[in-house]
Amino acid sequence: MSGQNQWKFPPPGAVVLEAQGLVRDLGTEVKTRAVNEVALTIREGEFVSLTGPSGSGKSTLLYLLGVLDRPTSGTVLVDGVDIEALDDNGRARLRNEKLGFIFQFHFLLPEFSVLENVTLPMKRRGTWDEEEIEGRALETLKTLGLEGLERRRYYQLSGGQQQRVAIARAVANEPRIMLADEPTGNLDTANAGIVMEIFEQLVCERGNTIVMVTHEPSFAARASRQIQLRDGKVVADLDQRGGRQDFNPPP
Amino acid sequence: MPVVVFIAFRLLWHRRLLNGVAVAGVLLGVVALIGIRGIMRGFQDKFLLNILKANAHVAIFSKELRPTPRLLDAYVEGPYTAEIAKQTPSDRELRIKRPTEILRTLESMDGVAAASPILVGSAIVAFGQKEISVSLRGIEPEKQEEVTPLAGYLTSGDMRSFAASPDGALLGSGVAKDLGAKVGDLIVCSTPAGAPLTLKVSGVFETEVTPIDHSRVYTTLRTAQTLLGKPDIVGEINVKMTDPELAHTLAERVEKIFHYDAESWKETYSNFLALFRQQDVILGFITGTILIVGGFAILVIQIMIVLQKSRDIAILRSTGFQRRDILLVFLLQGIVIALIGSAAGCVSGHFLLDFLGSLKIKQETLIKSDHFLVVDDPKMYGYATAFALVTGVIASLLPAVRASQVEPVDVLRGQVG
Repeated sequence: MSGQNQWKFPPPGAVVLEAQGLVRDLGTEVKTRAVNEVALTIREGEFVSLTGPSGSGKSTLLYLLGVLDRPTSGTVLVDGVDIEALDDNGRARLRNEKLGFIFQFHFLLPEFSVLENVTLPMKRRGTWDEEEIEGRALETLKTLGLEGLERRRYYQLSGGQQQRVAIARAVANEPRIMLADEPTGNLDTANAGIVMEIFEQLVCERGNTIVMVTHEPSFAARASRQIQLRDGKVVADLDQRGGRQDFNPPP
Repeated sequence: MPVVVFIAFRLLWHRRLLNGVAVAGVLLGVVALIGIRGIMRGFQDKFLLNILKANAHVAIFSKELRPTPRLLDAYVEGPYTAEIAKQTPSDRELRIKRPTEILRTLESMDGVAAASPILVGSAIVAFGQKEISVSLRGIEPEKQEEVTPLAGYLTSGDMRSFAASPDGALLGSGVAKDLGAKVGDLIVCSTPAGAPLTLKVSGVFETEVTPIDHSRVYTTLRTAQTLLGKPDIVGEINVKMTDPELAHTLAERVEKIFHYDAESWKETYSNFLALFRQQDVILGFITGTILIVGGFAILVIQIMIVLQKSRDIAILRSTGFQRRDILLVFLLQGIVIALIGSAAGCVSGHFLLDFLGSLKIKQETLIKSDHFLVVDDPKMYGYATAFALVTGVIASLLPAVRASQVEPVDVLRGQVG
């Protein structure tokens, strides 16, 4: 599955995500500047990989971009909306309607079936009726090769299948941007390859926008754009459209 | 179904064993409340009902020796020198003057159903060698029937022969038993003041209020007057109200109008009523505590679940569920637990009361009964459910608030499963 890269990335569209002077200090007594003056513009149809050594602030930056965390200073604009102007409910609605998350671990809810896990964010959103929601979920699961597993609980699935359900949960709700935090970190090579294929397919075929944190150079290279962080700062921002052939190892 | 409700029910069902324990806690509380209240009310209601039937709602009499207002006071201001040198009870007859007019006035007053004259005194009845001191009550049978009906309490004999014979007497069941007298027997009744008379037992009554059954003997008013040496004297007027709760108001009015003492049944039995109130407070406290303990079951179990589920809460929050949604999910669980618990508690409580009510237990303390006295009052179920719900909401508020305060980023950062 992780064979030759046959995907052709679409040309980047309108700006969907923008970070301005983003700073985030972590810790209570000894403060560490996890994210330091980051400015970024991410356009529709981009597949961005965030890379950098441990502690470079890539996950912290992702949480800030995903409106899960609040910056110490600076701001994030999602689809033109300044998140600093929103209250907690507004940020939750923004996450619900515009953002989709995929974590290192699947984080599926054990009380709900695969199908229900995928439908919950859509049900919260309330854009579609019950029938449409189920249709969308079933279709997404089918696209991700999970047909026939809809009624199962996550613990009845393999690790790769679990992560694909988590991707389906994020995708089915039609987010403007998908944020993935080490989505392959918990998977074996074969399943990690499948996840990468899915991401490429989503970007190239459906025009989705994905920001992915990874420390796997070969996966970072498969993105259309690679942003490298070190000590909370952007040290490289490489356009890699065309695939991994253009990959330039960081200095 | 709103998604929040869906999630709440699913979470509840998923931990049904644990939540079942919380439900059981609420159930026990509700059963205790219904059961204990039912038993207590069974006794209290029966007692009050019998008191209200066997006693006047308002009794009007002349009790205290109060100096009558002086004519001098009307004309002379300031302290006067006149003083009563000696006043003993014998100086003043304990009687109601012009009873017929008072009766007529009373019967025309609002809230008064009936009024009857009565003369009460102490007497000793003897049958053979057996003597018992009793409370003798002279009544006008027809009028008294309207105020404190006795006919329904008769276990033998009948009212008509009592009303017809001048020397008839109605004996309380306890008195009759102690004397060994039956209907038709002749008993001798004597008082300190009058001459002894031979009376014929024309009936035995049983009000099921033990103190009454063991002490009362009814005769006609005229016989009692003769026995007590008080010809033509009416000692008391008994009043029956259309609504017993209004007795106190009437008593106050009567005192103002006629200048006699008037005592409502609530005053007469104030010691019992105070006792009942005390019982209510104590048992209310106990049942309340049991329900609150049930609430703690919800609290502890829900807190535990919230702590266990902080990762799932974080993921729900990250997919766009608001704090309020999470709060509702856990609040709803508490409410559902309280609802199921109180519903099950109401059903169990009903069966418990049914069972207790069917128990054949002979008791003869303050009241006489051959079965366990319980009251199955629908209102109790309402109170119990309301109380359980309030407890449930309050108990699940803390865990729910706690759940709503989960910061997704704190949980998700560094979570590797």
